[in-house]
Amino acid sequence: MKTAPMLSSAFLQPAGQALPTTLLALRFDRASSLADLLLPTRRTENWKYSAKHLKLTDEMASSLPSDASVEAADISGYTVVLVNGVVRPEVSNYPSIEGLSIQRFSELDVDDAALAADLIGKSISDQPAKSGSVNLSQLNGARFEDGLLIQLKPNTVLDQPLFVIHHTTASHSGSAYPRILVAVGRNSQLTVVEDYVSSGDCSVMVNTTTEFNLDDGANVTSIRLNTEGQAVQHMGTTGVRQQRSSRFESHSVGFGGTLRRHDLHVRLEGEGAECKLNGVVVTQGTQHYDNHTTIEHVAANCNSEETYRNIAADKSHAIFNGRIHIHQDAQKSNANMSNKNLLLTNGAEIDTKPELEIYADDVKCAHGATIGRLDDESIFYLVSRGLSRRDAKVLLTMAFINELVDQIPVEQVRESANIGLNQFFDQAFQEV
Amino acid sequence: MLSIKNLHACVEGKQILNGINLEIKAGEVHAIMGPNGSGKSTLSQVLAGNEAFDVTAGEVFLNGDNLLDLATEERAREGVFLAFQYPVEIPGVSNLQFLRTAVNAMRKHHSKEDMNAAEFMKLAKEVSKQVDLDPAFLKRGVNEGFSGGEKKRNEIMQALLLQPKLAILDETDSGLDIDALKVVSDGVNALRAPDRCIIMITHYQRLLDHIVPDYVHVLADGKIIKSGSAELALELEAKGYGWLGIKDEAVANQ
Repeated sequence: MKTAPMLSSAFLQPAGQALPTTLLALRFDRASSLADLLLPTRRTENWKYSAKHLKLTDEMASSLPSDASVEAADISGYTVVLVNGVVRPEVSNYPSIEGLSIQRFSELDVDDAALAADLIGKSISDQPAKSGSVNLSQLNGARFEDGLLIQLKPNTVLDQPLFVIHHTTASHSGSAYPRILVAVGRNSQLTVVEDYVSSGDCSVMVNTTTEFNLDDGANVTSIRLNTEGQAVQHMGTTGVRQQRSSRFESHSVGFGGTLRRHDLHVRLEGEGAECKLNGVVVTQGTQHYDNHTTIEHVAANCNSEETYRNIAADKSHAIFNGRIHIHQDAQKSNANMSNKNLLLTNGAEIDTKPELEIYADDVKCAHGATIGRLDDESIFYLVSRGLSRRDAKVLLTMAFINELVDQIPVEQVRESANIGLNQFFDQAFQEV
Repeated sequence: MLSIKNLHACVEGKQILNGINLEIKAGEVHAIMGPNGSGKSTLSQVLAGNEAFDVTAGEVFLNGDNLLDLATEERAREGVFLAFQYPVEIPGVSNLQFLRTAVNAMRKHHSKEDMNAAEFMKLAKEVSKQVDLDPAFLKRGVNEGFSGGEKKRNEIMQALLLQPKLAILDETDSGLDIDALKVVSDGVNALRAPDRCIIMITHYQRLLDHIVPDYVHVLADGKIIKSGSAELALELEAKGYGWLGIKDEAVANQ
């Protein structure tokens, strides 16, 4: 039997030394722990559908230039731009608000560096894989060259969304490792929009990790928009820890590519915490998108609500794997998970797998998953009123995700999402 | 205006229409009655262009254009309108957005400029009042959660908005209470126009008390076996279909 390939040691040689010593040490430890590990294969349950799209050649291991020139983002409001994982203050527009600090890793003092190292150390998304193969989100810990530490003191409210633009330049092969740490104090509020974009069409990997730590009563909205180029292998991880009565809301809109993977892991650690996770994915051509979510109810009386929709056209492949884990002490948990999928062609594939693991005896936990196609009767009804077949299909396909797009609380993101969706429809419904 | 000649059609290999011949002049209203399974709804679906049905022979001309050569949406733009027996519910698409897209598709076909949202809203509100639908329905999903009567009124509202040349009403009276029947009938009567023809498919004479047709036809086994004036409907109501030498409804159903 063919053995799985190892993670090339070329991936464990980080670039960029302009970091506080604590972070350099942490990165070194992480790299050591990843040496000699195997890459996931299709027999690795967690990578069953996506392993074949992983292309981690030595060429991909090289660092991408942090000084590449990029245009300032066309966004009015607070922005932080990262180019290939390195913060670029000169094209950013930081908010200046009492109680809010946004610092790049390279400028952290000893105390803040210790905080950053602590947050990375207890990261929930960053634990060794049980299977013995490498957990690729750990690679971020071995390779980050810079990063952002965002801190909100208690009772601080950011009045507008903060856009974090992740720009990857694909003018040659390589990889980038952005890292974002967000620590939100008691009763503070923040909306972060992460926008993943790229330029160039060489084969690159973006291995990104973002972590939110919500103190009691904190309220965070995280929006994630993924419009990178076809050749980008995107491996994204979002980890969330929630304390008492905190609220976390996530909206993600993803467009497919050669490999898109997003792991979202939420831990409801304090009583009365709640999260709401919405996700929309569209894929076409031979694109691939793999969403894995985990919601852990650790404390009692927490609510989670999850709604994901996938649309796959042509010969593309979309995957949803949603896990809800209710711990023994998490009595009175209330968890709802819904995943609906729309196949636009016979050649497209969608796999959905809800997983429930429940150890408490007094919980409400509901889940549902469906896969369907556009309804001929509905198309006939619309077309019989004079709509073109294309318009009818667009309306019906939009109807499938409208509810989720409309809920995105930032207008600029809704507009970007709709532009992307219209491009998707232009490709997906070409006839007539 | 409408000329149907020797129309044959089948669905899933089963022959349903066996040579329909029908001439309708501009301004006329024709009622088509007949037992279940006689082909009434098939006729309406075939005229509107449902691809689930195959036309095996015959011709259909509307103002000289052969409808059978046109795709469903082209027929609609040339003025064919079918009020569905069972209007489809489409959650997530607002009625308003759907109707405006339809009206603008029609206007584009006739080289007219798009109606903007405000203009359209004004028009839609007026028309919804005509069929006694609360304008709040415009903002809801297409037919989503509408009662049977509301769906039928929504169909008539669409006809009033789209101003077709040929309106086919497929059992628009079914499932309506007396008040709703009155509202829908008023809507249909408002549709009557010198340059429009209307086909009403119905089981019941009661609709014809409100909308008096110029002709009544009886369809059985995919053919028109008897035609007459409005009085024919009264005769059918009194005697059933048996006297015409066809199986009655219960038998035909089997």
